[in-house]
Amino acid sequence: MLGIVIGVSSVVTIVSLGEGLKQQIVGQINQLGSDIITVRSGKLVSRNGSSSINNINVLAFLSTSTLTEKDVQAIGKLPSAAKVVPMSFVTSTAKGSRTTLDNLYVVGTSPDLADVLHQKVAYGAFFTEGEADQDFAVIGARVAEELFGELNPAGQSLSIMGKSFVVSGVLERSSGGLLSVAETDFNSAIFISQALARKLTGAHPNILQILVKSQDPNNLDVTANDVRSALLATHQGQENFTVLKQYELLDIASGVVNIVTAFITGIAAISLLVGGIGIMDIMLVSVSERMREIGIRKAVGATSRQILSQFLVEGLALSVGGGLIGVLVAMLINLGLRLYTNFDPVVTAPLVILAVGVSVGVGIIFSVAPALKAARKDPIDALRHE
Amino acid sequence: MTLIELQEVSKLYGFGDATTLALDEAMLSVEKGEFLAVMGPSGSGKSTLMNIIGLLDRPTHGIYLLDGRHVARLRTNQRAKMRRDRIGFVFQAYNLLPRLNVLENVALPLAYKGMTPVRRQKRASDLLELVGMRDREYFMPRQLSGGQAQRAAIARALINKPSIIIADEPTGNLDSTDSKVVMELFSDIHRRGNTILLVTHNPELTRYASRVIYMYDGMIVGDEKTAIGDMAKGARRIYYQKRKVTDDEIAGGVSAYLRDVPGKELASRSKRPGKRRRKKTPTRRRTVRRKVKI
Repeated sequence: MLGIVIGVSSVVTIVSLGEGLKQQIVGQINQLGSDIITVRSGKLVSRNGSSSINNINVLAFLSTSTLTEKDVQAIGKLPSAAKVVPMSFVTSTAKGSRTTLDNLYVVGTSPDLADVLHQKVAYGAFFTEGEADQDFAVIGARVAEELFGELNPAGQSLSIMGKSFVVSGVLERSSGGLLSVAETDFNSAIFISQALARKLTGAHPNILQILVKSQDPNNLDVTANDVRSALLATHQGQENFTVLKQYELLDIASGVVNIVTAFITGIAAISLLVGGIGIMDIMLVSVSERMREIGIRKAVGATSRQILSQFLVEGLALSVGGGLIGVLVAMLINLGLRLYTNFDPVVTAPLVILAVGVSVGVGIIFSVAPALKAARKDPIDALRHE
Repeated sequence: MTLIELQEVSKLYGFGDATTLALDEAMLSVEKGEFLAVMGPSGSGKSTLMNIIGLLDRPTHGIYLLDGRHVARLRTNQRAKMRRDRIGFVFQAYNLLPRLNVLENVALPLAYKGMTPVRRQKRASDLLELVGMRDREYFMPRQLSGGQAQRAAIARALINKPSIIIADEPTGNLDSTDSKVVMELFSDIHRRGNTILLVTHNPELTRYASRVIYMYDGMIVGDEKTAIGDMAKGARRIYYQKRKVTDDEIAGGVSAYLRDVPGKELASRSKRPGKRRRKKTPTRRRTVRRKVKI
């Protein structure tokens, strides 16, 4: 029974975690808007012909960025690209008036970011290009809260890599939660201009991705092709970058999540199987322990089928009970995850039905052998059993 | 009306060198309404006979007619239904299910009949009233004294209105007071027209019986009609007498036993350990030994 509980709870937890992750990512990507093309470093996907993605290259996620400022400029010259926004990841640490935070995304970008991502500024304003006299930064809602302890710290200063910045604006709190393939968590982000990022790093900043807003949302494919040709030119014909349209981003994100989820679910399924064998063990012990009871029941007129169904029902009760407790445990774990982490697991009805169904199946299958053993016993042998 | 008829019924345990004859061509016919006491020393085949009559066990050879029907032709399921509807068992060890209370134990055969819980509990309650156990309905078996447990077991045996009650040493674990209560109960049931088969070691108990048979070494060696209230005449004498094996039987030896026994059938029977009780009296056991051809 414990085996079934552990098996079911881990399967439900993991699958709901995966499902929640997927939904979060999908939500974040949809936030981007459908007219956005994302350029990422490395050849992340293999394409089947020209359109559909048939493979994801996980290694490409780990390589150094191949995107440069030159690429940004090249795309900026395209007539089909309305706006080009580079995003480069500078550091993760910033010091405020009260404390130092180490889990931030300090991102170098251009002022168009807010417009491209439909991200509104709650207080103050986004920095503009060419403000030379002061170094401005736009911060997320969580950063404002934790670094300064107030909702609107506009005008206060913070320090990134030893350089002082003035907060020019605070972004509206966004609903997203996690750093995903495509997107940063705006609540935990500090945006500075690309020029300042270059100054901070003392070299070319590591451009994580370039967002391109298409001139014509209905002609995304044309824009994507233009961007690809332009980049091929700057990359000497070697395609070590990826041009992704909105929906393809979804595919990649959910593809990665699916792989991980399937892997862990497999492990959890094995524990479910082990739980089933545990049930068989318990049932076999129970059958031999209760041999005398079986004998008595047969002596007073139980047919083999009635004995069989009695033991099947007992096995079933064990596994259904275990399955339901497992789902309950998973719900508790999910509640804990929701309270203490950024994960937002989603338990769907089909998942619960599937998990309980599988445990019922396991229970029946592994109860058959002990139940048959009990049913086939001769009444006189069973009665004589000590 | 003949209720039970056994024709040359034998029961063998084990095979090959270790074949043991538990029942040796027993001939018996029991009329409806008889109170039959079965006496004999340990290992004489009394329990084996009862198990065969009670459809718990199958004879190796011979014909068993219950109500004129060939029992050997019945399938396992039909035998189970026969046990449920026609036969009530009372065991020496009570054999109540420890996890069910008295009422549920008594109602158990009705559950296998498919009766609704309310109806079967009502009926079980009535039966417990009959055996004077009404106030112990919700006790668990371990909370009962031996006599109470045996009365509950009798109520369970009676619940399907069986035509045959088989009681295998029902007073074996009881003191004299409880024995008397239980035997009076059987006597009462007998007066209502039930057929009762009672295995006992106690000659006193033959006072309740209308007929006594004596067993020895798997054979029925005596049959005596007695008036209810009188102790059977042969009860003491035959019980302690040792049966003489004739010279013919010794000379006949193995082949006498095995002549009618097809080897195939013996080999196909699963190994059965000899009854424990039989092992305590190895001198009395007749072990058939086959000469091995080299």
